[in-house]
Amino acid sequence: MAALPAMRQLGCLRSLMRTPKFSPMHLSSRFISTVYSKKPEPIPFPQNLPQQFRSQIPIRLQPEQAPKKMKVYPPPPSSRAVCKDPVAHVAQSQMAVLDPNGERKALFDYRRNPRSVKPGDIVRVTFKNGDPFNGVVLSIRLRGVDTSVLLRNELTRVPVEMSVKTFSPNVQSVEIIQRSQRKTRRARLYYMRFVLELLGSPPENLLQFRALY
Amino acid sequence: MIQLKSLLTCIDNSGASIVECVNVLKKKRPATIGESPQTRVMGEEPNGEWRQSNSLGNRLGDRIVVVVQKSKPAGSEAPTSSALANKVRRGDIRHAVVVRVKKELQRPDGSVVRFGDNACVLVNKSGDPVGTRMNGLVGQELRKRQYSKILSLAPMHV
Repeated sequence: MAALPAMRQLGCLRSLMRTPKFSPMHLSSRFISTVYSKKPEPIPFPQNLPQQFRSQIPIRLQPEQAPKKMKVYPPPPSSRAVCKDPVAHVAQSQMAVLDPNGERKALFDYRRNPRSVKPGDIVRVTFKNGDPFNGVVLSIRLRGVDTSVLLRNELTRVPVEMSVKTFSPNVQSVEIIQRSQRKTRRARLYYMRFVLELLGSPPENLLQFRALY
Repeated sequence: MIQLKSLLTCIDNSGASIVECVNVLKKKRPATIGESPQTRVMGEEPNGEWRQSNSLGNRLGDRIVVVVQKSKPAGSEAPTSSALANKVRRGDIRHAVVVRVKKELQRPDGSVVRFGDNACVLVNKSGDPVGTRMNGLVGQELRKRQYSKILSLAPMHV
């Protein structure tokens, strides 16, 4: 069809005179720019421009319309430079209050201190506001200030487990009543809960049982 | 965590040995002997005492309604020894106070206590225990409520 107007003379002329029109397809192909063209530099406002000519310059280019300079504040000083690990700092300061001479820490640091409380030992925890609690140590949860020890005992034939925070100000003293008879092969003696059930009739309290065991 | 159909041991000498919970009073959650940790707001007073907020009430020693499922065998059926005879029988509906729970409960000082069983004490509507003796320990949480009679009857509190 494109060759058809070229056959007729008039038609050919007309096609030459016609202003080039972009078809939508043509346009879309034109948008793909392959050459990077720099953004034109803004033309500075003419210096020494007489006042009467000012009105000829479009309003958006007038110096009053220039974007206002935003005030940029510097960021506040980072406290990271002061204290890199605040959690450790708080824990340390708490430890300094709760355990000033590190005795309690050494008493439960069963991984390093050979003289510490170990799972399987029988300990007595004395509280400031209540009766002391004896029990077999089932597990020691070493978590810094949150270190706790899980004690189990059988009182009036009812098994009782108590997890005590070792650094609690409520804990007055912790004493080892009896070391475990033989070295325990595990750090958590949760199986002690079921050993008694297997025995059928539990002994009067677990302390005796542990001594036998 | 005592809720509907929970079976508890009754540790007093009222005659019941196993009871079943049929309702938890004044509470939409399962009954326990301690306050649930979610509702507790703790802080330390200047004098070193622990304080608890009473905004939601102290949920200590929750009251439940129970049905006696199993009663202890009566010692003697003689009418003269009425004190020894069972005060409750199988099928009776009574109020009770939870004194021990299997679910671990956290104390304000951070310690956690877990008992080996769920246990309760039968009480009357006014809160006095039905039995006159108690065998077995009870939780210390009862101290905060008016269950001092249960505490004094119990051989031990933990």
